[in-house]
Amino acid sequence: MSLNEKEPEVIQVWDLPLRLFHWLLVFGVLGAYVTADYGGRLIDWHGRFGALVLGLLVFRVIWGFTGTLHARFASFVPTPARIVSYLNGDWRGQGHTPIGAVAVFALLGALLFLAFTGLFANDDIAFQGPWLHLVAKPVSDSISGWHGKAFGILKVLILLHLAAIGFYRLFRKRNLVKPMLTGNKSSSGGSLISDSDAVLQRFLIAIAISGAVTWIVYSGVPGHLFSAPVDAPAPAAAW
Amino acid sequence: MKIKFIFALAAAATATAAIAGPVEDQIKVRQSAYAFMGWNAGKIKSQVDDHPETFNKEQVLAAANAIAAIANSGLGSLYGPGTDKGVGWKPSHLKPEFFDRQEEAREIATAFNQEANKLAEAAETGDIDAIKEQFGKVGKACKSCHDNFRIRDK
Repeated sequence: MSLNEKEPEVIQVWDLPLRLFHWLLVFGVLGAYVTADYGGRLIDWHGRFGALVLGLLVFRVIWGFTGTLHARFASFVPTPARIVSYLNGDWRGQGHTPIGAVAVFALLGALLFLAFTGLFANDDIAFQGPWLHLVAKPVSDSISGWHGKAFGILKVLILLHLAAIGFYRLFRKRNLVKPMLTGNKSSSGGSLISDSDAVLQRFLIAIAISGAVTWIVYSGVPGHLFSAPVDAPAPAAAW
Repeated sequence: MKIKFIFALAAAATATAAIAGPVEDQIKVRQSAYAFMGWNAGKIKSQVDDHPETFNKEQVLAAANAIAAIANSGLGSLYGPGTDKGVGWKPSHLKPEFFDRQEEAREIATAFNQEANKLAEAAETGDIDAIKEQFGKVGKACKSCHDNFRIRDK
């Protein structure tokens, strides 16, 4: 780090997998958003973007237990003690602030709900979620309704997320976007985010698991174990 | 004059009833029509999109022709006054404002019929990509009516 001698001190806060997750999630959510309501064949792309988001979320959950320091849920779960300490100005962490952590869990929760309900959704035209056949049609209709309403909540959360970034930029003179790109931030203290050199190994395992889970879910496999696929080509009737 | 007008109205009402039957019947028939179109659309999607290896030109053409035939059968006469409130096989999802926006409804329905006819033409060629493309356009036509006149599930 001798190149950064002018800086007070530069430490890494967000590991590369976390940053990849974040920006791919932006891409996936935007993609799902623009393809959701246009109709026609784009609804199939909505399903594919949904699968990408689901895969990223599965990865994030795994990484929340196996990633580096600030990626681990345990390091930023917003416990009452942490929130009180933060509000009193005594919090000295480097990762998500306790209030920021509330937003992180809210965003992840809303996205998980959307990805999960999408599996059972239908659009009464030609879109069928991969697990549609596990529930009755009226149930799928209701779930599809929740899917749409949950997006309204996600929109609010995303706007709050962006507003918080703008707030820090304008009133605290801090750029929160750059660390999410480079992983680094200037700091007057902090610890190494990883004490192990097995990060790459854990990253590859996490990718393999989340990829496999998503592929299985998206192909509707667990559903097909319980019932015959409804979209199987019907045998041609003789008449 | 007034009496003549009332007679005309009564005659028109009877005529509508004669064509399409009571409210419940109109709703039942149109719900059946959409369910049947949905069944055929499902076969097309399955064979051109999800499992193209199962593509069977005759089956897809039969399905596309069935959709076109229903689209061209005069579904509009199943949307008589009061049919936003009634119960057919299940409560109707028709928005009441359908009756205030008749011109728009007619345009949307006409566009749907045209797309359905083009789907039948595409199916005739047996070209999977062309069918897929046109199937998407039919879906869009369905959606434009759903977005305008169909109550979303809670």
